[in-house]
Amino acid sequence: MTPAVPITCTKADLTPDFRDQYLATYRQMQSSRVLEEKLGSLYRAGGRIVGGVYLGRGQEAFSASVAMQLRRGQDVYAPLIRDQAGRMAFGEPITDALRTYMGAATGPMRGRDGNIHRGRPQEGEMAMISHLGAMVSVVAGALFAKRLRGTIADAVGATSIGDGATSTGSFHEAINMAAVEKLPIIISVANNQFAYSTSNDRQFACEDLIYRARGYGVAGWKVDGTDLAACLKVARSAVAAARAGGGPQLIVGTMLRLGGHGEHDDAAYIPDEVKFSKVGQDCLLVAEKFMIAEGWATKAEIDAWLKEARATVDQAVSLVSKEPIPDPYRESWQALSSSELVESWQL
Amino acid sequence: MPTIPILMPQLGESIAEATVVRILIEPGQRVDPGADIFEVETNKATMAVAAPCGGLVDQVIAKANESYAVGAALGSLHVSDEDAQALGFQNDPKAPIDAAQPANTDSVHFQFSDEDAIHDIQPKVEPIVGGLPVPAGATGASFISPRMRARMLELGINSSDLAGVAGTGAGGRVTVDDFETFLRTIEQHRMTPASPMRIAVADSMRRSWSRPLATVGSPVVLDAILAHRKKADPKPGPALYAIRALALALAENTAVAGRLIGSRIVHPRAIDIGFAVEVDDGVLVPVLREVDKTPLSTMVKTYNTLVEQARSRRLPNDVNRPGIATVTNFGTFGIVWATPIPLPEQNLVLGLGAGMKTPHWSAEVNQFIPLTMAELTLSFDHRILDGGGAGRLLSRVAELLQSPEKL
Amino acid sequence: MSVTYLEAIREAQFEALRSDPNVFVYGQDIGQFGGAFKATKGLAREFPGRVLDAPISEDAMVGMAVGAAVEGARPIVEMQFADFSSVGFNQIVNQAATLYWRTNTPCPITIRLPSGGTAGSGPFHSQSMESIYAHYPGLVILTPATVEDAYWMLLDSVKLDDPVIFCEHKFLYYHLKAESFGEHSLPIGKARVARPGRHATVVTYSAMVHEALRAADELQMEGYQIEVVDLRSVKPMDTDTILGSVARTGRLLVVGESFPWGGVSAEVISRVSTEAFHMLDAPPMRLNSKDTPIPYHPNLWKAHRPTVGSICDALRRLLRF
Repeated sequence: MTPAVPITCTKADLTPDFRDQYLATYRQMQSSRVLEEKLGSLYRAGGRIVGGVYLGRGQEAFSASVAMQLRRGQDVYAPLIRDQAGRMAFGEPITDALRTYMGAATGPMRGRDGNIHRGRPQEGEMAMISHLGAMVSVVAGALFAKRLRGTIADAVGATSIGDGATSTGSFHEAINMAAVEKLPIIISVANNQFAYSTSNDRQFACEDLIYRARGYGVAGWKVDGTDLAACLKVARSAVAAARAGGGPQLIVGTMLRLGGHGEHDDAAYIPDEVKFSKVGQDCLLVAEKFMIAEGWATKAEIDAWLKEARATVDQAVSLVSKEPIPDPYRESWQALSSSELVESWQL
Repeated sequence: MPTIPILMPQLGESIAEATVVRILIEPGQRVDPGADIFEVETNKATMAVAAPCGGLVDQVIAKANESYAVGAALGSLHVSDEDAQALGFQNDPKAPIDAAQPANTDSVHFQFSDEDAIHDIQPKVEPIVGGLPVPAGATGASFISPRMRARMLELGINSSDLAGVAGTGAGGRVTVDDFETFLRTIEQHRMTPASPMRIAVADSMRRSWSRPLATVGSPVVLDAILAHRKKADPKPGPALYAIRALALALAENTAVAGRLIGSRIVHPRAIDIGFAVEVDDGVLVPVLREVDKTPLSTMVKTYNTLVEQARSRRLPNDVNRPGIATVTNFGTFGIVWATPIPLPEQNLVLGLGAGMKTPHWSAEVNQFIPLTMAELTLSFDHRILDGGGAGRLLSRVAELLQSPEKL
Repeated sequence: MSVTYLEAIREAQFEALRSDPNVFVYGQDIGQFGGAFKATKGLAREFPGRVLDAPISEDAMVGMAVGAAVEGARPIVEMQFADFSSVGFNQIVNQAATLYWRTNTPCPITIRLPSGGTAGSGPFHSQSMESIYAHYPGLVILTPATVEDAYWMLLDSVKLDDPVIFCEHKFLYYHLKAESFGEHSLPIGKARVARPGRHATVVTYSAMVHEALRAADELQMEGYQIEVVDLRSVKPMDTDTILGSVARTGRLLVVGESFPWGGVSAEVISRVSTEAFHMLDAPPMRLNSKDTPIPYHPNLWKAHRPTVGSICDALRRLLRF
């Protein structure tokens, strides 16, 4: 089999409209990085964040590019672990992240679930469960229901997955089912080389994950995940194809996870030759260089955006830190929405 | 036409079972309501069992000369729906399973065969029956189920109150049904409330009776005491001599007044001795403190005060603190011999019978001489003390009573 | 004119599809073929696009139902056999069951599980899964034993805003008949006294209700009146009705077709022992299948599951105590 060639941008792609989206996407990426750095330092400081912190450092370009194409309120999005940038691009407020990490009673998860396990399903943002591959069919179901109820119009759904999760039965069942139903779903596979500590060669044997698209009978797109321009081009094309009735779209992006699985993991298992290879580039630095080279932004402007992002994050942290934590005596302890069916005898 | 069982009826108060002596019906026979169908014999009488309603005899289960518990099925009757309903038997569950033929078998994944009609086939392998194994001790008459216990607790009734109730349960156990029947029976009697004193004595005696108690007895000559008493001022009562003698004897070996708790004997801390005083509808036991260290003469006043206080039910609280043994002078009722029960927290009760002039052969003067004799009894917890030890203690008391001046 | 338990399942789905356009049915071979047991016979023709064949992907089927429910649909998922729901287990217990509690989003899905044994079905087409799902918070587990309950409880399930595991018994599909679907009487979560008695209580559900009623008939001839409680819904469990019955009889036997270790019968006994120890005349007992996979040959199968005979034996032991 011939190696799959990643799609790249040419000068012709860099329209003013493209430039505007590029800059907007970059700012989401930058904000995401700032927020995640803050989460990392709050975790290391100990105290308000219990449990782990799981960051998307290095995956911002790939994550945000797809989410930038989505319209909150119409489209469906099921982000995964390393999609802070995508979540922000989909319009998730910074406070949702902070409130969930800090277990604030005010957040969407109200202390019942934490960190990356958050969402607002009724607003089209699914809350991931930890079992990998499980969210693909949920997005497919939401699209199925939109079609059944006649509300689908040109809505799409998007979900993310990693190289490791492509090995699950759940992923296989769901992408196959979505293909059978020809649903407008975009599945972006972030191949960040490691699933926790397991490298690609222990994860799958096919030459390139993009070849799976053909096996499932879906469209496939391969892209360099550190190149924001290429990511945007692919995301725009894939989402447009799905909106136009082209069925499921599988995007495979390659990049390196710039850190451990979580902040508890120093990722000593990642060899230096991978860290210092092209796949190990930081997508933010690549984008910064690109913007300056294209004359789309100056270093001073980028620094000003950074300052602004930091101020916004600091403000949000200071707000959420003062918010109440959940009170076990006020918790309803009801797992059913039909409260008449909750057994009171054991309460 | 429903089929109902013919049950062994309740044949009278405290009857748990009866023996079938004659069978007056056979299968296929039509019986009228109330017709005699069995003759049965209890330990009290022979009587007939009547048909619960009219019907056709289905089977006769009972065999002549065999005993059946109350409620056991003796046979069965085909009866009308109304009679079955009236007698509280339901038949034909809602939504019966039609095991004959599946209703719809078009192209289904699994064809159901007649094999599915499993109901007539007995399993060839013993099924797993979960639940607790029945402990041997839990099946006897003494077992009281949690339900029974709860009902008794509710009514403030003790298991000893049910001694006269015949149980129809497994191993002769008294069931809640037996209990309710018993309660209905006693409702027909005149009932008066027991006094708090009576209830307290009953409670104390019931608790004490949970131990293996035994009694030994020995005669004692009272003449020395009587002579001593004549001269004494104030005059000690006969019981006080016995109290002091018992205290001195126990001071020599406190272990016999100890209590067995688990694998250890708990010795008394002081030789405090109580004495029984009859009061209205009961007995009170005031206690004299450190009797081994107090001479008889100095105790008389305290003793008399306590007797007065007990009779007027005005004992101070501290004398109610139990002693280590009790003396009871049942001789004051003219009783010669008795087996008193020790208090539940004590191991010993010394009893003093009525004194009687008795001819006694004297080898010295070679003739009968009159002596005043009485029986001393000692009831004790046999777990701690044996017959020999109890006898030695009793002899020592009798011996001390021969030298009242030393008491 | 009579209707079967299976017809009740089919008719309830017809009624659900007819009365609410948000309802759809998803499962393997349920479309034009009408389902492995014909529980959806003709429905695909009557409701085009709403009764759909699914790939053999139990995980994706349930995940899809959850996503659809979030979007306002009310899916009914048919597992071909209850046994195969184990492949969709993760989506049922971790996705569907946690959705409301985690995100305040109701999850109105109904998962139909053709459950229980029939002769010759063997280890993988005979299982009863109610206990394992009942273990997880966030699920409602229904186990109808009558034609009426099969119809009305399935309709109730579809209307309920929570995920329902609907355990319909395969043995009852064709064998159980009634005059009609009757009236909607008891709500979900309420047990029914299927037969009043005073000497012992049998608490059971699904097909075992009928075995227990036959056992009660048999023991009536020995002078015992056995009360049979049909749980209808194993979760929520109607503890009050169970306790009320035990208060009347003082003796409890719980019968379930599922495996013996833990489970619904253990739960009933735990509740009764804790809440009603003072009402008991004997230690509560239970009777389940054997602790092995379900055997293929009818001889073995009949000895593996509780039957009228083994229920009578267990009751006699209980009554003797």
